[in-house]
Amino acid sequence: MVNTKLIKDLLNESACSHNKTKKSSCDKPKPGATSGGCAFEGAQISLFPYADAVHLVHGPDTCLGASWETRATLTSYEGENNTPLGYCTNVTTQDIIFGGDKKLGEALAYIIEHKKPKAIFVYETCVTAMIGDNIDYTCKCAEEQFGIPIVVVHSPGFVGSKNLGSRLAGEAVLDALIGKKEPENVHPFGINLIGDYNVTGDMWQYKPILERIGIKVVATLSGDGRIEDIQCAHTAKLNVIVCAKSLVTLCRKMQERFNIPYVSVSFYGKRDTSNAIRSIVNAFGDAELIAKAEAIIAEEEAKLEERLRPYHVMLKGKKAILNTGGNKSWSIASALQDIGIEVVATSIQKATEEDIAIAQTYVPIVFKSPATEQPRLIDEHKVDILLAGGRSLYTAIKKRIAFVDVNQEKKVSYGAYGGLENLAIDVCAALHNPVFKLVGRSAPWEQA
Amino acid sequence: MGASLNLKSFKATTLKPLHINPLKLSQPMGATLAFLGIKNCMPLMHGAQGCASFTKVLFTRHFNDPIAIQTTAVNDITAVIDGGEKGISEAIENITKKVTPDLVGLFTTGMTETKGDDIKGATLLLKEKQKMVYVHTPDFEGGLESGWSLSVQAIISQLIAPTTECKHDKVLLIPNVNLSPIEVEKLKEALELFDFDVLALPDLSDSLDGHLGVKQGALSSGGISVADIEKLGNAGLIISIGHSVKKCGELFKEKFAQSTHLHFDSLMGLEACDAFYAKIIEYTGSKSVPNTVKRWRARLQDVLLDTHFVIGKSNIVIADEPDSVYAMSKALQEVGANIKAFIAQRSPIQEHFTCDIAVGDFEDVEYALDGAQMLIANFHGERIAHKHHKALIIRGFPNYEQVGIGLRHNILYEGSCHFLCEVNNLLGHH
Repeated sequence: MVNTKLIKDLLNESACSHNKTKKSSCDKPKPGATSGGCAFEGAQISLFPYADAVHLVHGPDTCLGASWETRATLTSYEGENNTPLGYCTNVTTQDIIFGGDKKLGEALAYIIEHKKPKAIFVYETCVTAMIGDNIDYTCKCAEEQFGIPIVVVHSPGFVGSKNLGSRLAGEAVLDALIGKKEPENVHPFGINLIGDYNVTGDMWQYKPILERIGIKVVATLSGDGRIEDIQCAHTAKLNVIVCAKSLVTLCRKMQERFNIPYVSVSFYGKRDTSNAIRSIVNAFGDAELIAKAEAIIAEEEAKLEERLRPYHVMLKGKKAILNTGGNKSWSIASALQDIGIEVVATSIQKATEEDIAIAQTYVPIVFKSPATEQPRLIDEHKVDILLAGGRSLYTAIKKRIAFVDVNQEKKVSYGAYGGLENLAIDVCAALHNPVFKLVGRSAPWEQA
Repeated sequence: MGASLNLKSFKATTLKPLHINPLKLSQPMGATLAFLGIKNCMPLMHGAQGCASFTKVLFTRHFNDPIAIQTTAVNDITAVIDGGEKGISEAIENITKKVTPDLVGLFTTGMTETKGDDIKGATLLLKEKQKMVYVHTPDFEGGLESGWSLSVQAIISQLIAPTTECKHDKVLLIPNVNLSPIEVEKLKEALELFDFDVLALPDLSDSLDGHLGVKQGALSSGGISVADIEKLGNAGLIISIGHSVKKCGELFKEKFAQSTHLHFDSLMGLEACDAFYAKIIEYTGSKSVPNTVKRWRARLQDVLLDTHFVIGKSNIVIADEPDSVYAMSKALQEVGANIKAFIAQRSPIQEHFTCDIAVGDFEDVEYALDGAQMLIANFHGERIAHKHHKALIIRGFPNYEQVGIGLRHNILYEGSCHFLCEVNNLLGHH
């Protein structure tokens, strides 16, 4: 069953900055004027990176058919990697009339017999929520009979946005998995990484550095994650939220339940990566750990500066405008500044109030409506490069300036120290590519 | 609650109770593409916001171009208390605040069909405000092909004005969803060689062909205009390509009895193309065809002979939408290939296959790869083709890996040459 009270509570999350000023909670989507994914997608994004669990979507084909194997969330799991696989009960007319529980039970039995996963996540969808399938009961029976965790995620698309779905996924993990297992030994500097899905290996850019400092990653939600680890997540000493507002409720509840404090960090760019490491070690307050961290930060920064030197020469004096969403409105700005680019303005159209406040500390101009303001700002400030989602490509071509697509579908990691070099490579390549000036030229039969 | 379910007993079931790595795409997605083939149209998906979002992202990545689509964003409250008309009218109001569509294509999803919304009523109520076409496309039935076909049928019955006039040289071309934008254009050009005046419905050839537009539109950027659709009634010849759209042609013929309907299941390979030109010649009464057609036929004859050495000894697994698999398997069998075919959903075309065929998912496809040299499938085939070291040709939706998908020409004599050569060359290198 969809838990309406939980959803209301999640939308009114006290740890969200906007809920301090706004009377109403997060808005419902507007018909005819809505973009962005649904709650199911949010849950899927948050949990699919658990490669040792099977993710079974209980619904018709659209929910999964169009969304499986779409995100490059990498894993080091050596068994069968379930992250790029799609499991779906493929509910049909027959099931809608007679109920889908039997099919769900059969699907669970099939998966356990053929795939032997460490756990199964079962995702409720709009249709199976509406026809009133008793998913909880079927899954409870299966869990008892097969002896592996079967976690029901009550996040059908129509309850709200992607963000809400990711919160609901966090709740499901908290209730069904966290604290269900005790590790052999508890590390004094154990942390959980919350909200990094290891897209293009972002997490691997900084995790080895943390380990060199002497920090142990107990569990992740959910980049390169394992079910057994998340079951032990309550033994970590600190929760580290990586660029994700949506899982703040989970962290607040873990603080209440298990007395684990949390910090919120970003690993984009040199300064933010160094600051993130400092926030983590400062939270432990161990002098030796802090000293070790400073030494490693200095070493990593020096190595990076050496590698970035040729790019600094090429990028000197270049001006950029950034148009992206959420925390990227400031985190990528900060990364760009680290490689020597002047960021003239950043779009805050899709940013939270907290993100806007942070963005203002990095970038002099923040703007709300890219369609009108972007072209004007490009002219006024003689901007050299636009970094945005694919939709803005035409603006760049019209203005004959370089363009870099900063979408989540990106193919290389821009995370941490190592990723910064990738960003520098892409920006340099775009700035030096003649195509942006060439492609928009007028045809021989047109008046110039 | 009664006695505990005994799930272990379910093991006895022979039929696989789930899809593992689905091949199937949904009906609403097919409807979306159909409406994108109409100029200045806004596809409006009646469902939760995610249905439209997943669809938009998939087609945006597939075509590398912006995709116009909106959603009625049904939520948990309106799902219960609204019969559809409130959400739909609100959506129309919000859409028309920003843009002025010539047409809104309204289509349902699994959720709104489960609750049984009256979309016809909602469309009638909004008649004065916005021109609309409505169509029922639940995603628990059919698939990409039927969603496209049902939308075309809805457009034919709801938009085309009644007439008894008949222009013998006016052709309505109805392509199936699998034809690429450039294939639709090539087909139009092929018919124009016979002095036909050709309109395609839907027409993706100038909306999703990947052209650099003047501006970033919120509506579909090209396609057949609504005014042209309304005047289609006087088309003398209806040509449907692909079994999934046969019904569209039949519906037109029912409505406008003065017209002639020619149907072709496929336009790939020598036999299929010969059948096409035979019927066209018969209709026009001409004795011959333009020279370019003759030259391309001769080239295809040569390609058939050149490729039969390699393809003739090969085992190929094809997985895609039924009409697409049918066309490719027929063309490859002409040069002796041994084909195992998997289709995304059941289709009447199944009976006409002359090779091994099954409805399946990518798990089934993977098992079938044993002993095959090549896999032809959508982007999801890539991982398994690499895993089992098979040659891969990407066809169908989605294709996230490659560019120029809208420009791929694999039909008629010319396109068949390109297709067979591509298969041959890849097999030879593998």
